[in-house]
Amino acid sequence: MDKNDKKYTNGEITVFWKPAKCIHATTCYRELIEVFNPRKRPWVNMDGAPTEEIIRVVRLCPTQALSFQYNKDIETEKPREEHQAEVRVMEDGPVIIMGNFVIYDADGKEINHKKMTSLCRCGNSNDLPYCDGMHRKTGFTGK
Amino acid sequence: MENETTSISPAEVRILKNGPILIKGVFNFRDSSGKITSGEQELYLCRCGGSASKPWCDGTHNKIGVPD
Repeated sequence: MDKNDKKYTNGEITVFWKPAKCIHATTCYRELIEVFNPRKRPWVNMDGAPTEEIIRVVRLCPTQALSFQYNKDIETEKPREEHQAEVRVMEDGPVIIMGNFVIYDADGKEINHKKMTSLCRCGNSNDLPYCDGMHRKTGFTGK
Repeated sequence: MENETTSISPAEVRILKNGPILIKGVFNFRDSSGKITSGEQELYLCRCGGSASKPWCDGTHNKIGVPD
């Protein structure tokens, strides 16, 4: 989070504001001046409209300078999402693993302490278990 | 919040000998169509290139072998 970023809550949702992303499209305050009023401080008044209306307008922000989350998600899911591992299967390519993971080789030995790795799915890599790009040469296809 | 984030165990990725990739624990999984599943899961991903139900392992490696 940038030090200039701000957040505002009404207890149900929190609206996040990233000034660096704002291109002053003015959508938010033309739609809902009761909540988004750049002449006031703080410029976001979370009591100015019902939650649903705030969400509707936040979603209109063209640059995502404004975003929101339900507070119940912030308390439970959000920290996990940011820190847990992510596994991505690439079509006709490898499987990419990033984030918080440990990897063990076929002998059960812990290998690879990098933050991200790319594992072969085609069976033809010369650097198993890692991908070395061989899937392109062999024309591997796979969801 | 810091304490909470550090308490999450890392996902466990195991290269199974002459077999698939086993991934288990709490993680986000995105398939090649972009569909995401989250939370605790245990997956076996084909590593021999021969599975008929990719990305999942279907045991084909037993027939064609996986180089290690």
